[in-house]
Amino acid sequence: MTVTSDQAAPASGAPDQAPREHRGLFSRALEALLTQRVVLLAVLIVLLVITMSILDAAGLLSGSFNADYLASALISAVPLAMLGLAQLMVILSGRGGIDLSVGSMVSLTGVVFGYAYGLWGWSLIAALALAVVVGGLCGAVNGVLVAYIGFPPLIATLATYYAYRSLALVVSDQKPVNSPVIQDFYSAAQSVELPLIGGSLPLIPLGIFTFLIPTIVVVWLLLNKTTFGRRLYALGTNNVAATWSGINVKPNRMAVYVASGVISGLVAVVTVAQFASARPDAGTSGNGMALPAITIAVLGGVAITGGIGRVAGIVLSTLLIVWVNASILLALPGNDGTQFQLLALGTVLIFASLLNGLTKRKYGGI
Amino acid sequence: MSVDQRGAPAARPTARRILPPPVTGQELVLVGVIALLWVLLGIFTPAFLTPGSIRPLLVSVAPIALIGVGMTFIIITAGIDVSVGGAIMLCAVVTAKSLVDLDMPLPLAILLSIGLGLLLGLLNGVLIAYGRVHAIIITFGTANIFQFLALRVFGSSTVNGIPGTFDVFGRGEAGRTFGIPHSFLITVVVVAVAWWYLRHTSGGRNLFAIGGNAQAARLAGVAVQPRILGAYALTGALVGLAACFFIAAGTSTLDQAVGSGRELAVIAAVVIGGTSILGGRGSVIGTLLGAILVQTVTSGVTQIGWPSQLANLFVGLFIIIAVGTDLLRQRARKAS
Repeated sequence: MTVTSDQAAPASGAPDQAPREHRGLFSRALEALLTQRVVLLAVLIVLLVITMSILDAAGLLSGSFNADYLASALISAVPLAMLGLAQLMVILSGRGGIDLSVGSMVSLTGVVFGYAYGLWGWSLIAALALAVVVGGLCGAVNGVLVAYIGFPPLIATLATYYAYRSLALVVSDQKPVNSPVIQDFYSAAQSVELPLIGGSLPLIPLGIFTFLIPTIVVVWLLLNKTTFGRRLYALGTNNVAATWSGINVKPNRMAVYVASGVISGLVAVVTVAQFASARPDAGTSGNGMALPAITIAVLGGVAITGGIGRVAGIVLSTLLIVWVNASILLALPGNDGTQFQLLALGTVLIFASLLNGLTKRKYGGI
Repeated sequence: MSVDQRGAPAARPTARRILPPPVTGQELVLVGVIALLWVLLGIFTPAFLTPGSIRPLLVSVAPIALIGVGMTFIIITAGIDVSVGGAIMLCAVVTAKSLVDLDMPLPLAILLSIGLGLLLGLLNGVLIAYGRVHAIIITFGTANIFQFLALRVFGSSTVNGIPGTFDVFGRGEAGRTFGIPHSFLITVVVVAVAWWYLRHTSGGRNLFAIGGNAQAARLAGVAVQPRILGAYALTGALVGLAACFFIAAGTSTLDQAVGSGRELAVIAAVVIGGTSILGGRGSVIGTLLGAILVQTVTSGVTQIGWPSQLANLFVGLFIIIAVGTDLLRQRARKAS
């Protein structure tokens, strides 16, 4: 008797939820893995670390794979994650939002910062402020073109990509801006020991604390704790509905392009520190900085159609990309490594976007 | 919907009337701007309007305009392909290697390059049409993979000692008939055929329908996915042919910078030519004119003696002006 009553109790208590509760752990884990991009990225990072540790133990790597190595690889995460956050905001705003010009803005503001700090003798704070203002102005041009004149973002930022890149090279006469002050500024990119608990942790690049974490916090607060953030998600989800619900669409859409410019200005300062000189092609040489940043955003679960995307996704996808790249260099040193990084980036991007499409069909969301 | 399908004679004039005029306003403006620039450059630098200056200009227009034809097809369907730079690199290096190592004859080399390009285009097309993923994302991904494959073939060095098999497309005497470079002539022929296809065949009109509203086109019986696949495959094949032009226009050495950044140059030419990035509207003649305009500015800036990097500033401005005037015209049309 007691056995049957025990069995009957949950069934009569919540008959509606029964089918959901009877789903296996595996099925629920699969749904979390496919629908929660953050979960997928975290699992991939763990898998990567496990694989590399095994390879390391087997002696198949050219260097040792440990916490120190992972921490030193974070130096390249600073510009990537910051520009990824810029793309997050721009893509979130919808209507085909994208910013191809971030690399050119990094080049241009980097040169301006180099002149102000290195040659005109401005203080670091003043030069930093100038970089932010110049970046913001560059972004404002994009913003006006997109939000007020109605340019498709791809076209507006393609045009300014050309224009800013050209200006950076012409202004600097195609030579890196250099001076002893800028070379000393390299110390801003070195690795430091954390106070208090630092002794037991690996050295971490200073840029993480001075630039990346503040940017992450500010963007997270903007998106999640302000009405501006809420409006942005509304705008990206349905532009018409947002307009009719009383959101002043134009200034809000313009603001994300300005924010993207401001972040590019900050990244410019970071790259000047990393290279110990202000290179006029810092953000545009090779594949440039825009494509990796967009890749980071898409991998981080940002829907290219707007309205969907989280800061945590950007952070985790940056960590994944940076550590995959660092691992490839350990496994395949030299030229082979840099080539296989391209393959990894391309495959991961296609895989992630096909997955986005699949989850949309299967679960109706990302 | 109201067109009577049975009354063929009655439907004909309607069909003729809904076609846009053969040459649109944007194209006339472009011709005017190019003519103005050529006259101005001719006045300020007498060397500009000589065959020795115009011929190299046409040679460098050819591959951009040729790929631009395919890109116009893609953008008309509201897609985009940013992998053409990587695809050029891969086709060029494989073809150049085969010329050096296997001493391939000309027709076989062209076929190899076009075939490889077609394959790359098909890969993009399948992923975009059937994977239902946004085109820009997929082609960012394939761009990386194409570059990776090309770099593996390069093997961390340049391809040296390319024989003169492609001289027929080159800058030299063998590369022209009646003084006009062959590569440019081929491009003009391709543009003409593409213009006719887009304007006068149902396949071409279907592309516009897909770009205007893919869902409506599907319901109206357009085979949306094969058409989209076709547009990317065509672009791939044209990239293959253009890669031959790139090899021919260079020296006997092919370096790893080939194709780099060309995707944006092609998209710039298409957009300046009046094709709407939102799909449903565009013209291949405009693309050819856009490519000529971009190249005129690029070579004009250096011939005047300005820093060559300034050319890109003008390219950016031209994009803004071309698209901006189009936006203002649309707004005026809507208001009236």
